[in-house]
Amino acid sequence: MTRIDHVAGERKTSGVSLQGVNKWFGAVQVLGDIDLDIQSGEFVVFVGPSGCGKSTLLRLIAGLEEVTEGEIRIGGRDVTDADPSDRGIAMVFQTYALYPHMSVAQNMGFGLKVAGRSKQEVTGKVAAAADVLRLTDYLDRRPGQLSGGQRQRVAIGRAIVRDPDVFLFDEPLSNLDAELRVEMRIEISRLHQSLGNTMIYVTHDQTEAMTLADKIVVLRSGRIEQVGSPAELYDDPDNLFVAGFIGSPKMNFLPAEVRGGAIRVAGHPVPDPGLRSRPAEGTKLLLGIRPEHLRLAKPGEPALTVTAQFAEFLGGTTYLYGAVAEGVDCVMEVDRSVDTRQGAVLNVTAMADDIRCFGENGLRLR
Amino acid sequence: MTNTTEIDPAATPAGKPPPRRRRRRGSGWEGLIYVLPAAALVIVFFMIPLGMTIWMSLHKWPLMGKPRWIGLDNYSRMLGDRDFWGALGFTAQYTLAATVGLLGVALILALMVERPSRGVALYRTAYFLPVVTGFASASLLWAWLSNVDSGLFSPLAQMLGLTAQPVNILATFGPAFWSVTIMVVWKMAGFYMVILMSGLQSIPTDYIEAARIDGAKAHQRFRYITLPLVRRPFALALILCVSGSMLAFDQFYIILSGGPQNRTVTAVYYIFNESFVSFRLGYGSALSVVLLAILMVLSAIQLRLLRDRRES
Repeated sequence: MTRIDHVAGERKTSGVSLQGVNKWFGAVQVLGDIDLDIQSGEFVVFVGPSGCGKSTLLRLIAGLEEVTEGEIRIGGRDVTDADPSDRGIAMVFQTYALYPHMSVAQNMGFGLKVAGRSKQEVTGKVAAAADVLRLTDYLDRRPGQLSGGQRQRVAIGRAIVRDPDVFLFDEPLSNLDAELRVEMRIEISRLHQSLGNTMIYVTHDQTEAMTLADKIVVLRSGRIEQVGSPAELYDDPDNLFVAGFIGSPKMNFLPAEVRGGAIRVAGHPVPDPGLRSRPAEGTKLLLGIRPEHLRLAKPGEPALTVTAQFAEFLGGTTYLYGAVAEGVDCVMEVDRSVDTRQGAVLNVTAMADDIRCFGENGLRLR
Repeated sequence: MTNTTEIDPAATPAGKPPPRRRRRRGSGWEGLIYVLPAAALVIVFFMIPLGMTIWMSLHKWPLMGKPRWIGLDNYSRMLGDRDFWGALGFTAQYTLAATVGLLGVALILALMVERPSRGVALYRTAYFLPVVTGFASASLLWAWLSNVDSGLFSPLAQMLGLTAQPVNILATFGPAFWSVTIMVVWKMAGFYMVILMSGLQSIPTDYIEAARIDGAKAHQRFRYITLPLVRRPFALALILCVSGSMLAFDQFYIILSGGPQNRTVTAVYYIFNESFVSFRLGYGSALSVVLLAILMVLSAIQLRLLRDRRES
C-alpha cells in the first residue's frame, strides 16, 4: 500500500452535473442558466474576471449558497437541497479558514471528530495525510505559527482527511507569493494524479487554469462563455472574450475590413483565413492573431507593417510591442536577431490557419 | 546681539551635528509630556485616593475630631466582623446569580442580533436602551413597579387571577433577591450584548462555513468554533460583570434598603453604612481596601482561567 492509497481509502469518485442553475441575490442575477457536466476524476477550472460568478458557482456546488433555480447532482445523486456535509465534498478556502485556536492535527481531524469517529481512527488518518503533505513535524503547531505554504497544505490536508468524492478549491493560491504559487500548483496537480478525485478549482489566473485543468469553464457576468480543454480554448475560442482571456500575452485584435475581395488591416491584405461563408464587401471584422503566430514576412509576401515601440527580453524569447496603425497596438514574439529598436519598421504576416475572425458582435466567424 | 548667533565650539565640536544621544533624551521627555494628562488623571483620581484610603485604614478616623493611629487594628477587627463576612457572602451570591443571568442573556441577545438583517438595528437599540438609564432611575422605576399597592406586578397578577391577594415581592428574601437580579439583567444585558456581539462579528464567516463543510452541526459549531473564538471578549465581559456585581449598591439601597431583615446588605452597602452612617471612616477604609484586594484576586483568576495557554 502506498502512502496515497492509505489516505485515499476505498473511494469512489463522482461526477458533478448542473442543470439550468440560476442564482439571484435579491433582484440581482449573479448566475444564469448554468448547464455543466463534469466527468468523474476530471480536474475542472472555473476561470473568469472578478465578479463573474465563479466563486458563487463553487459555493452553490458546496452547498454554502442556495440555488434559486435548477438542479445540482453529485455522483448521480440530487444534492440541490442537501447540507454541505452530506454532499461528499471538501473545500479549500482562499483564506484557508484554518481554525486559529486548534493545532494542525486538530484542524485536520475536526471533521472526523464531529462525526464521532474514534480517536484512534482520527489520529491515523491525520497522520497519513500529514505524511503525504510533509506536515508531520508541524502537527502540534497552531496555524498562526506556520508559513503561507504550510497553511495551504494544512487546508488541503483537512480536505483529504474528509475523504471526499469531490474537492473544491476557491482561489487557493492567491495569497501566496509567485514562487510558492508555482510550487503549490505542481503539488495540487500531483495530488490530483495520485488521488484521482474530481476536482473543481476556481481562479482568476488564466495561467493556473491552463496548467492545471483537464477542462476549463470560462465565465463572464454569470454566464458560461465556453467550456473545453486548455488547448481547445487556446486554439479555437468561441468569442472575443475567451480569445482575449486565455493566453499571455493576450491575443492581438486587429480591426479589419473586407474590401476588394480581401480582408484588409489598415489597407494591407492579410492571408485568407478560409471562412466557410465569405463576408460581404465592406463588412467590418476583428482579426485575432496570437503573438507567437506573427512572423516576419518574406520579400514579396503580403504583409502588415509594424512600427516597433519597445521590447521585453525574457531570455528564451522576446516580445516586441508595436503599432500596426494609429491606435492599433500589437505584440509579437520575435527572436533576438530581430531589430527591436524604437521606430524600426517590420513587415509582418501570419499563417492563414492562425488567423481567427470575429464579427462585430464579438462572436467567432468560422 | 552678535553673540547669540555664535556657535559654541564646545557644544558642536568641529561643526558636526549635535550627538544623537541628546536628541533621544529629548524625545523621552516629549513622550512623557504626551502621557502626562492621562497620568495626572490617574494619579489625582486613583493613586492619591487609594493612598489616602490605605492611610485612613490604619487610623481610627471619626468624622469630627482627631484621627488616631491604630496600625492594623481595623483589619484584625474585620476578621471577627460577622456582619461584614455575611455581606460579602451575600455579595458573592448576588454576583454569581447576576453574572450567570447577564452573560447568558447577553450571549443569546448577541447571537440574535449579530448578523445584519431586516429590523436588526431596531432590536439592537431596544436591547441597549436600558443601559443608558442610570442605575438609580432604573431602581426607582423598579421600586415603583414592585410596590404592592400602587405598582404593576402585584396588581397585575391579581387582576389576571394569578394570585388571590396582593403579594409583596419585596417582603421576603427570595422574591426580593430575584426581582432585583432580574432588574439588573434587564438593565445591563444590552451592554454585555454589545461586547459579545463585536466578538462574534469578528469571527470570519469562512470558519463557520469550513465547519459546515466539515459536517459540524449548529451546536457543534457553537461549541468548537464560536465559543473558543469569543474567549477574549467573553473574558472582558466576565471581568466587568463580576467586578460590577461585587460593587453592587444602588439597587439594593434604593429598592430594598438592605431588607428584608437586613439580608440584602452588599459589601459596598456595608462599607457605606460603616463610613457614612456610623462614621467609622477608618474602618470603612480598611473594608474598602480588602474589597479591592478581593476584586484584584478575582480578576487575576478569571484572566488566568480564560487565557489560551497555547497563545504566545
